[in-house]
Amino acid sequence: MNLQFVLMQLFNGLILGSLYVLLALGLSIIFGMLGIINFAHGAFFMLGAYAAYTITSYVIPNFWLALISVPVLMAIFGAFCEMLLFRRLYDLPPLYIMLLTFGLMLVLQDAVRLLFGSMGVPFGTPKSLTGMINLGFMYYPSYRIFLIAVTSLTAAAVWLFLTRTRLGCIIRAGTDNPRMLQALGINISKTMTLVVGMGTGLAGLAGVLAAPIQNVRPLMGMDLLVDCFVVVVIGGMGSLGGSVVGGLIVGQIIAIGVMVWPPMANTLIYLFMAAFLLIRPRGLFGREAFHE
Amino acid sequence: MPRSQLVMLASFFALALVFPLVAPYEALASEILIFALFAMSYDLVLGYGGMLSFGHAAFFGIGAYSTGIILIRVVPSVPVALLGAVCVSSLAAAFVGYASIRRHGIYFTMVTLAFAQMFYFIAFKWTSLTGGDDGLQGVPRPNIGPTDIHPEINLYYFILALVIVSMFIIVRVVHSPLGTALQALRENRNRAMSVGYNVDRFRLVAFVISGCFAGLAGGLYALLLNMVPLGSLHWTTSGEVVVMNIIGGMATLFGPVIGAVSIILLRDIISNYTDAWSLFMGLIFMMAVFGFRDGIVGFFRNKIIPRANKILGQAFPRKH
Repeated sequence: MNLQFVLMQLFNGLILGSLYVLLALGLSIIFGMLGIINFAHGAFFMLGAYAAYTITSYVIPNFWLALISVPVLMAIFGAFCEMLLFRRLYDLPPLYIMLLTFGLMLVLQDAVRLLFGSMGVPFGTPKSLTGMINLGFMYYPSYRIFLIAVTSLTAAAVWLFLTRTRLGCIIRAGTDNPRMLQALGINISKTMTLVVGMGTGLAGLAGVLAAPIQNVRPLMGMDLLVDCFVVVVIGGMGSLGGSVVGGLIVGQIIAIGVMVWPPMANTLIYLFMAAFLLIRPRGLFGREAFHE
Repeated sequence: MPRSQLVMLASFFALALVFPLVAPYEALASEILIFALFAMSYDLVLGYGGMLSFGHAAFFGIGAYSTGIILIRVVPSVPVALLGAVCVSSLAAAFVGYASIRRHGIYFTMVTLAFAQMFYFIAFKWTSLTGGDDGLQGVPRPNIGPTDIHPEINLYYFILALVIVSMFIIVRVVHSPLGTALQALRENRNRAMSVGYNVDRFRLVAFVISGCFAGLAGGLYALLLNMVPLGSLHWTTSGEVVVMNIIGGMATLFGPVIGAVSIILLRDIISNYTDAWSLFMGLIFMMAVFGFRDGIVGFFRNKIIPRANKILGQAFPRKH
């Protein structure tokens, strides 16, 4: 095992970690505001990839257009889901919204399977990003470097939005105590629509970015979603920093697992989670008893 | 143990005895029994314990794989295999429960789901033992003493015997002091704690009992199919058992049984026309959440019986 190979694997772990970060950020802000885990998040991710496929193959064959329009479309879709479906269930125990999102996941996945087939669709790397970049110590596909860059910028933008703008401040306050926020005269239902839309948009962005490097197939988000649960358990729910750090850690664990013993790579993250739960049950940056 | 539950159990037994005569085919009847047991065992966790576990497919699947592996590799004896399945799945439930019970609410859901996924990946990758993606093929059905269980009808009555005994035990557990304590801490964790109950221990015991019967159901499933599909471990199976509970009515014991019967029958009917069962399943989920939260049992309790009482004049007195 030479150094080149190890570095290559660690970079691949970084790619996977970037996707986890985008998905976990969305999961985490939706969780913070609504107090639910969104089982449809993986399906939103898959829908983002298929939307990108539809746009590039049937509308305008331009990856950049898809990269910009899909997150927006997905955000609108998520906002509609919130307004038409989730909103009716806020007064009930969180169990019911979670089951609703589980049902939504099954419906979306099967609908896409009926439309596009279960084998998946081809999605090429955008032309301007094919080829390799010389990093000084190794060559690495430029698309993957681009993916890391976009993810970092997005995570930074989300962080700035949530910490430096008034709207972000409202969202963070809502995560802390939605009732108090409402009592202070903030329209909480609009805020919730915004949060679900934003989370869905992030999942859509992850879908577009993943399309050229993963198989675009109806069940692509399903198992990735469970990995994201591991990310948020390790990082600590409702913490943005936790999502980022947790995502990168889980990506690296899989990369290292692939180098050491490939069949165990996926199992490793669950064992790591089990160990983590015993040592630090609330996760890296999680608060005690948050939404429990 | 209240008489109404015994009546329910007896009537379920009576219906199940004649069910193969009306069921479309005998294997379907057996499948319904198996999922009825699985759903009822899950009610212990969700309905009575108030814990939304999304990892119960793990215990079902582990029971199925253990049975299959014991029958194929160790000893071709059904009692030994089923006993082994119950032991292994209880151990797995103890492990998962111990690690996840310290988290409550949504965290509990995520952690159980993640652990179930771990078992799924182990079965998926350990091809030499489990057959990987193809599932575990060629699970035999050796005779039990003098009884040949190859004919589906014989297997059905064997399954029925085990399912009835298990259901009896589950009903007993729910009406034991353990079951009462479990409901108390579902209703108010802090109060139960201040009275001196060890909340986490009760939750863990309920979780393990539930996992044990889920494992038995899984073992019977392996016998029925003569194989173990990898999907039995997947988290969509966990979702299915959750919806069986919701549709039937949580915390009613026989509600989930009714839910299981409805879902399996519906799947059989719909699969005749289309392969988009998952789509229908999703729609059923969403409809159950919006319009049918009390389940079939709750529907009868809250809507039909009061109306019947109005017409018939307190034919079914309300119990408190």
